[in-house]
Amino acid sequence: MEQLALFFALLFLTVLGFILGKGRAVALSGQSDQPLHSRLPYYGLYTAIWCGLPSLLIMAGWMIFEPQIAEILVKSQLKEANQSLSADQLSLYINDVINLASGGILSREPDESILEAAESYHLFKQISYFAMAVVAISVSLVTLFGSLRKISPTLRARNKVEKVISVIMMISSLIAILTTLGIVLSLIFETLRFFEKVPFFDFIFGTHWSPQTALRSDQVGGSGSFGAIPLFAGTMLITFICMVIAIPVGLMSAIYMSEYAGKNFRAFAKPVLEILAGIPTVVYGFFAALTVAPFFRNTGTMLGLDVSSESALAAGAVMGIMIIPFISSLSDDVMNSVPQSLRDASYAMGATKSETITKVIIPAALPGIVGAILLAMSRAIGETMIVVMAAGLAANLTANPLEAVTTVTVQIVTLLVGDQEFDSAKTLAAFALGLLLFVVTLSMNVVALKVVRKYREKYD
Amino acid sequence: MSSAMDMQNFNIINDPITSEPKIIARDVNVFYGASQALKSINLDIGANEVTSLIGPSGCGKSTFLRCLNRMNDVIENCMVEGRINLDGIDIYNSGLDPVLLRARVGMVFQKPNPFPKSIYDNVAYGPKLHGTVSNKDELDERVEKSLRRAGLWDEVKDRLDKPGTGLSGGQQQRLCIARAIAINPEVILMDEPCSALDPIATAKIEELIDELRKRFTIVIVTHSMQQAARVSQKTAFFHMGEVVEVGETDKLFTSPQDDRTQGYITGRFG
Ligand SMILES: Nc1ncnc2c1ncn2[C@@H]1O[C@H](COP(=O)(O)OP(=O)(O)OP(=O)(O)O)[C@@H](O)[C@H]1O
Ligand SMILES: [Mg+2]
Repeated sequence: MEQLALFFALLFLTVLGFILGKGRAVALSGQSDQPLHSRLPYYGLYTAIWCGLPSLLIMAGWMIFEPQIAEILVKSQLKEANQSLSADQLSLYINDVINLASGGILSREPDESILEAAESYHLFKQISYFAMAVVAISVSLVTLFGSLRKISPTLRARNKVEKVISVIMMISSLIAILTTLGIVLSLIFETLRFFEKVPFFDFIFGTHWSPQTALRSDQVGGSGSFGAIPLFAGTMLITFICMVIAIPVGLMSAIYMSEYAGKNFRAFAKPVLEILAGIPTVVYGFFAALTVAPFFRNTGTMLGLDVSSESALAAGAVMGIMIIPFISSLSDDVMNSVPQSLRDASYAMGATKSETITKVIIPAALPGIVGAILLAMSRAIGETMIVVMAAGLAANLTANPLEAVTTVTVQIVTLLVGDQEFDSAKTLAAFALGLLLFVVTLSMNVVALKVVRKYREKYD
Repeated sequence: MSSAMDMQNFNIINDPITSEPKIIARDVNVFYGASQALKSINLDIGANEVTSLIGPSGCGKSTFLRCLNRMNDVIENCMVEGRINLDGIDIYNSGLDPVLLRARVGMVFQKPNPFPKSIYDNVAYGPKLHGTVSNKDELDERVEKSLRRAGLWDEVKDRLDKPGTGLSGGQQQRLCIARAIAINPEVILMDEPCSALDPIATAKIEELIDELRKRFTIVIVTHSMQQAARVSQKTAFFHMGEVVEVGETDKLFTSPQDDRTQGYITGRFG
């Protein structure tokens, strides 16, 4: 935690830089009659950035590269002491050294060379920390005074500060983009590996899903078949049930809220509806599994129907309730943004309220509503927790909502839970399913956003 | 109650008001919440002529106009008192459905507000709504007639299925007029219909208003004294929620009786 102390020291210097920079600007504005280029705080920020940013970057870089350098050092030392080590043993030894140096407990009695290495590793660490502190703080001080000296009435402090801030913002957005790219690429590569083991068409068009394969050669296991159709059929069935519930309820509540409800009711009801969206899905999940599914089952039994205890109906119904706020809230927004002038035009033509809603407002808001529905649907397709808890594992290819079905997301979860071997077809199948799911929801999102954007353009 | 009797009851205005008013407003007060926007308005609107309402911004012209087709009902905290008769029938207190009233008293707004539908559907909106046409042919005919009357037919006849929002501002405003006259109203209310338009489009609409006067009674709010002088026969000058002066347009502009009117039309305030 010495690093934390150094971090706060640098932070302190940064704040100091702000105060000094601003103070210097104040002094300058008092002395010369030339007006300052920027407002005072920008000079403070200017010195603060010069003082804080380089030193913090050095510290970050140091902390990233130090362990690697240390490891190389330890490695060479161990090699010298003991020539006969294999690569595996060497890495084991290095672990021991690091553990020992940081005061951990070893599984076995350390030998001489390890103790020695640990000693020097510890020493290296300390020297390194000391050096890092010295370098960072001196850089910080140098830049602080350097930038202070540069402050003059003509210094374009605001432009420089804004430039730095915009670069920081750009990097932040790059992080999100690169992460997404990384995820997609890893999905693609693992999926390609999967297709080396299982033919593409067997996966896409296969109607039988039973991913149990033998993990070790001495195990007896199914040969494994990876037909994704039952999973997608299950996903679609549950999504369908979900939308059958969510679309009418969501739309009607949106219409009520945007057109009929008073201001006060709306101000209260809208946030409450949105709370529905904030409930953790796992809560919906056990609500589905423990309350709704048994209810459907009992009702079914009373009516003489054979309802599975993990029916698609229960999962879909609960998911529908979860999705309602997505549809109602977005649709409410788009209907609200239909300009008042269109309503006025319709009323002035002698239309009633309901005629205005059905003939003017809904058609005008339709693209936005469709967008909302698509977004909600891609959300439903990707939903995991509710179906894991309530939909079951049996990969039935059925359209009967009273039977148990399984979904893509559920299978991904079960494929990856428990002991895994990373390059078995079973594990890789999860990536293939994930990629397929991603492609489906992504394309729905793209279409939805396109539709919504088109609608926005119309009134702006 | 016959309209003649009604008029006898109210005939207190001795100004050169038309002999057969289409609309009679008596002692109209309008409140937005606690603040009073119109104070005891008395005004007659003559049939088949153009009445223009002028006055400084915020004096209540739009408010009065919206009283005439009860568009104020849509505004939440708006309250209207007094009597407004259309052809002798009290539009507020006689149980007349505002929806039916608005079919008789059409309105054109300051900013063109065509529906985001095709040009055809914009004009067909009213007739379809009120079921005043029985088949597609009649509807086609009605649409064409309305567009012709609004002077827009030649410009749009080849693109009736294109969105009305794709027209120019002046065309849009004429489309809105066509939409309003498609249900054959008796009165057309226009709230600064030219304020978003250039001089040429304005001239077209003014011409149109003059043409429409033969069939419809027109009330127009305008900020342009020249426009009022050009298109209207009667002019009412509003000031701070009151009608200060009303009379023949020529007379009002050449020899105003009230100092405030004089001040406004000579540009001393407002
Ligand atoms: N919806 C409303 N809520 C509250 N007050 C309003 C509302 N509409 C108008 N008012 C007030 O009523 C008064 C009259 O407004 P009105 O719109 O009738 O004026 P106007 O003569 O049409 O003005 P302009 O020439 O600027 O259009 C103004 O003081 C205005 O602030
Ligand atoms: Mg107005």
